[in-house]
Amino acid sequence: MEDLFASLAKDFVDETQPIAQEISALLLKLEDAAAAGGAANTGLVRGIRSGLHTIKGNAAMMGLPPIEQLAHALEDLCAAYGEHESGAAATDVQLLFEGCDLLGRLIPSAATGRVDALPVEAFLGKVAGQKPSPAPPGNRLTQTMGVVPAVAEVGDERADQASIRVDDGGVDELLELSGETIVGQTELLRLHSRLARGQFEANDVALMDQVLTDLGRTARQMRHQLLRMRLAPMSTLFGRYTRYVRDLGRERGQPIQLVIQGGETAVDRTIIRRLYEPFMHLVRNAVAHGIEAPVERAAAGKNPKAQILLSARLREGRVTIFLADDGRGLDMAAIVAKAKVLGVDTSKLTDKAIQRLIFQAGFSTAKAVSNLSGRGVGLDIVAGVVQGLGGHIDVRSVVGKGTVFVFDLPVTVSLQKALIFGVDSETFAVPTGFVLDTLEVRERDMQEINRVLLLSWRGDFLRSADAGRLLGCQGLAQAWTRPYAIVLQAGNKRGVLLVDWLSGVQEIVVKPLDDSLAACRMVGGVTVLGQGRVVPILDCLEVVRRTSRALSAERKVIPAVESSYHAF
Amino acid sequence: MPSDAANAPTCAVAAEASESLLAFADALLCAGQADKGPAAGDIQQFLTFFLSDEELGLPILRCREILRVSSITRIPEAPAYVRGVVNLRGRIVPAVDARQCMGRESAPPTSRSRLVVVEGAGRLFALLVDRVARIVKVDKSAIQPAPANAPALAGSVGLGEATVHLVDVDRLLHLGTAPGGAKAAESEQA
Repeated sequence: MEDLFASLAKDFVDETQPIAQEISALLLKLEDAAAAGGAANTGLVRGIRSGLHTIKGNAAMMGLPPIEQLAHALEDLCAAYGEHESGAAATDVQLLFEGCDLLGRLIPSAATGRVDALPVEAFLGKVAGQKPSPAPPGNRLTQTMGVVPAVAEVGDERADQASIRVDDGGVDELLELSGETIVGQTELLRLHSRLARGQFEANDVALMDQVLTDLGRTARQMRHQLLRMRLAPMSTLFGRYTRYVRDLGRERGQPIQLVIQGGETAVDRTIIRRLYEPFMHLVRNAVAHGIEAPVERAAAGKNPKAQILLSARLREGRVTIFLADDGRGLDMAAIVAKAKVLGVDTSKLTDKAIQRLIFQAGFSTAKAVSNLSGRGVGLDIVAGVVQGLGGHIDVRSVVGKGTVFVFDLPVTVSLQKALIFGVDSETFAVPTGFVLDTLEVRERDMQEINRVLLLSWRGDFLRSADAGRLLGCQGLAQAWTRPYAIVLQAGNKRGVLLVDWLSGVQEIVVKPLDDSLAACRMVGGVTVLGQGRVVPILDCLEVVRRTSRALSAERKVIPAVESSYHAF
Repeated sequence: MPSDAANAPTCAVAAEASESLLAFADALLCAGQADKGPAAGDIQQFLTFFLSDEELGLPILRCREILRVSSITRIPEAPAYVRGVVNLRGRIVPAVDARQCMGRESAPPTSRSRLVVVEGAGRLFALLVDRVARIVKVDKSAIQPAPANAPALAGSVGLGEATVHLVDVDRLLHLGTAPGGAKAAESEQA
């Protein structure tokens, strides 16, 4: 019963959340239209009303009176607004905005089964003060299921991660592909049982080669399909700033328009999620530092209504995002002055290079700290986030014309948690899924038997390999001198890597290796750490295999087919 | 409403402004690519570089940029001709040793060494060269065929005293990825 409710509640949130967002967007349009002349907005009003109606119905079904009442009241407001459209007061729209905000905050809390009725009370009171309200009777306080502090932001974030809408076709294709892997496995089993009986046939190697190639291709297709399922349109990111920009403008008493282009461009959810904060920061910066006061704009012959552009488009398999404003541009003198303070010589730098300095740590040139401007989050952090996603950020600015931030990002990313370690002068990463333990090596825990290094670990002796030698590092250090050990487990095999230093576990973006490096079987991909440093990610299956192989007396020859499996 | 008249043209201007903003952003993107248009007639341009005292040329249409050699991350068991990978503004591209590809002795990079980012066989790679020399214009008819034993060359051309060997970029990489290359790495490891 509990589970059923939870899953229903989740469906409710999933379904109504986008509607609430849609209503918010329609309201903005309505407001624009009202400012432009008031006519021809019945369509918008109808859209808003039907959205509210859906939410009301769903809320009633779920037994969420506060949301139901709120939606009902908003529907009434909308109806009233629609009736006397030309004379509609701005306060009405403002009230609608407030109500929709509240709706947006309440919906996520439905997942917990506890929706706070108090803010709804307050809002309904406000509406009643405005005009006679037809709010339904009943002691609403008794309907409170609990008090939940409204945390819209966190709620948003969770809803983002919670579920993915997938079309049937995608699932069917995955199912088909998984079927193919079973076919491949059956084939391999058949081969295996025959080989185990010692019955070799002439074309066995070719046959296995074929099966492995097919399996490899299927695995890649599955991965591709899964990555595709993780895509979401950029509008899910961009749309979240429409309201924000409008409110920032209000705060400054100045109209600011957000122009969105290429919202349909599909990009990995992880990227969208990670960009939310940096974009918020950049948008806030654009308003706080970029856009001039209306008087100043008028004096410069600019449109008093300032603009911020968010645009995305696919280009050569990557996504290019522009975040532009038509403000005063970067203050070059201030950047140069700041550079001097920080001891950076700018005399030989081009204008472009000087502009790029703003991505360096400690380069905030803000003079006054206002509510609008940054709160400690620097552009260096923004650049770091982008770099972590395997992207690149650049800036161009023309004095008096505006500033454009250009993002170049991959369309899909795959994230993994990894342990970072170093050996000799090189750095590597191992996915934490394979790491059983990390420990400091005491000399008495190590033994060498038949030129095989063994580490005593939890009453077991594990075959150990010097990471420096295994990975071909150019160092003189010996296995015995490595202070740390990483215990790896892959399948039913364990192995130990002896290393020089360990650094923490971190979430990394996995980037594939170029085909020319397909033969490097101990490396599954690379990642980019701070300062753009590239670090190989070890393929633990292979590494563990090698650590155990390093010990076995008679080294087996690797069959040729394996290399083709990896090369495809 | 009194503001009607004032607002209507504003909207038009706003649309225009956003267009110009986009055009501005576009111009930024295209900057640096504008000069890559097709060469006129039968004249081809080549970026030349040196390996020891030998001058070689890369078709300039394939060259994306020239970088100083900063950090190349070694990849364990990489074939000898791949020195590692470099981070090209978020893209990870292999750093290919031109000396190894052309069958010369490998040498450690010096302060004059450069990475020429080249597009070949449908992907990007950074070609490590001893030093970048010049850009030359070559008439197609002046190109001599390459000797049969140099598969990575498209031909050669005499320019005054000097002879410039023209690199076949696609084949250069293809040679590297051919089974021979991978096998070589394998046997080295074993």
